[in-house]
Amino acid sequence: MRLLALLLLGLSSSLHAADVLHLYNWNNYISDATVARFEAACRCRLVQDYYSDNEEMLAKLAAGASGYDLIVPTGNAVEALIRSQQLRPLDKRLLPKLNNIDPAYLDTAFDPGNRYSVPYAYTITLIGYNVEKLRELGLPTDTWAMIFEPKYLVKLKGRVTVLDSQRELMAAALKYLGYSVNDTDEAHWRRARDLILRAKPYWAAFNASSYIKELTVGNIWLAHGYSSDMFQAQQDAKQAGRPFTISYAIPKEGAVLALDSMVIHKSGPRPDLAHQFIDFMLDGHNSAELTNLIGSGNPNRAALQYIDPAIAANRAVFPTPDILQRLEMLRDLDRNQRRVLSRIWMEIKMR
Amino acid sequence: MSPWAGRTMPGCFSMTRRFGRWLVGLPPTLFLLLFFVAPSLIMIVASFRLAGEYGGLAPLVEHGRWQLTLETYRFFFSDFIYVEIFIRSFSVALATTLICVLLAYPLAWLIARSPKKHQDLMVLLAVLPFASNFLIRVYAWMIILGPQAAVARALNSLLAMFGFEPVTLLFSPFAVLVGMVYVHLPFMILPLYTNLARHDPALLDAAQDLGANAWQRFWEVTWPLSLPGIYAGSVLVFIPVLGMFAIPDILGGTGDILIGNVIKEQFLGTRDWPFGATLSLMLTLAVLACAGLAAWLARRGVGRHA
Repeated sequence: MRLLALLLLGLSSSLHAADVLHLYNWNNYISDATVARFEAACRCRLVQDYYSDNEEMLAKLAAGASGYDLIVPTGNAVEALIRSQQLRPLDKRLLPKLNNIDPAYLDTAFDPGNRYSVPYAYTITLIGYNVEKLRELGLPTDTWAMIFEPKYLVKLKGRVTVLDSQRELMAAALKYLGYSVNDTDEAHWRRARDLILRAKPYWAAFNASSYIKELTVGNIWLAHGYSSDMFQAQQDAKQAGRPFTISYAIPKEGAVLALDSMVIHKSGPRPDLAHQFIDFMLDGHNSAELTNLIGSGNPNRAALQYIDPAIAANRAVFPTPDILQRLEMLRDLDRNQRRVLSRIWMEIKMR
Repeated sequence: MSPWAGRTMPGCFSMTRRFGRWLVGLPPTLFLLLFFVAPSLIMIVASFRLAGEYGGLAPLVEHGRWQLTLETYRFFFSDFIYVEIFIRSFSVALATTLICVLLAYPLAWLIARSPKKHQDLMVLLAVLPFASNFLIRVYAWMIILGPQAAVARALNSLLAMFGFEPVTLLFSPFAVLVGMVYVHLPFMILPLYTNLARHDPALLDAAQDLGANAWQRFWEVTWPLSLPGIYAGSVLVFIPVLGMFAIPDILGGTGDILIGNVIKEQFLGTRDWPFGATLSLMLTLAVLACAGLAAWLARRGVGRHA
């Protein structure tokens, strides 16, 4: 009898072991402590697979990857996934903590009414800089002019990197010219291209991620990049005891805000666990843990009290309402626009 | 001509022979069909299709109509910029190949002339870099060429002594070329070594006996005999360099993209598979044209030296 009970026990625990939630996530986008607590709470295993940009994730799904319960794409990629009918509508009865989210981040253009997506965290594309160097040179830090205007760039030649991303760099240029980041007028694109080409000789490189290190070691004094990367550069420089500090600011012309949201993929076998995970991450404490780890923006009002005060006070992570109004989310382009933009981008890269 | 052609052979033996040849030839033929012909056909079809709005391809048949178009080809030829990047990529591939020949030849020659017991070790050393990951090796060049590194500092202090402006090595066409040569050099050394090691030393002795000096012995005997090795190495270097996107990505500056980067961009960033397929077909065609040219040159070369 006892043996049978043991056997049953063993069987049930092995059943639990088969409860697996597959999360397709950005690199380093959840804290280990949060994972451990979730696994204890759901008595399941959280298996993560990683991507480093939305296009990579979309390309992998387009090529037929499946089995992911949850994905955490950025707004325009959420839109792409919704339109291609890859997502499962949310069952909001299973998400009692949904009203923790600041309404400013709900009901977005890419998912009206939040039928499919729940905000997770955001980053802002901005300017990171070497505080001492820029003060020494007497340069401003809160404008896109810093990466586009030759009169400033002459002092920074070879010390500036910009993001190696068509959309992000064009968005910065369009913003500086006073257009929307989602402007699709070809004439405006060409003006943005000319602005970029004029500034390019002063830039050290187009860069996707190594600007964190370059800023930290002092090779680069100014970088166009993501707020969470700048946070990491700041921390790294501090920990390495560098004689300078890294800081970052949102340009006054406005910038791109990338809101990452949790969505449930149709190919995933466990929508139940996925809902459980979403509600778990809506908890203020769990959500704050991510912000404290990587310095990401947090759309969760209940999280604020758990966030490191230094981060909570950082206006480049939690912008003032005035600045927030000038932030825009990128919308997806249609195929013809993508092809034309890609050619403009190639001209930018070749000249 | 095959070695047994023209000899009289019993019919059944010849049959077996032919069957054996067919059997041996089957796997490579299948391999080519499966991994070259079939993908190329898929690419050809894809190049005429429409891009899916969110990556991938639009359905082939929509509302009962075939969705095929010449648009990608029109787009390709509508702007000289695509031809320009082909020219640039071919120039980089050619330069890489030439530098590899210049660097690999003396080394391969040295290995082939070394005592037999040292040869294996030297070949091992030449391929040893493969033991570590490709990306790590390329990243290492970022450190070596970086502005804080000894190389750049020494060079720039030297330049300063003669009153020149300091130069940046990293993120430049130079860095891309260094990376390309470094990564592909073993592919040139190995075929060259294999070729040079097979040369009959008696030929050189004979040339010497006939009064050839060292240069003549090299230029009239060793060099022509080593041409097949150079051709093999060149193909192994030239073609991968043409498609390479990681090295310009990592070591290149703001203007150093090559065709590989553009093709990769079509499939990832731009999500424009049909145009990516077109670019990649154009590249295949260009490579085949080059290979044809090389084969023709090689045959002419062999003819001259025969």
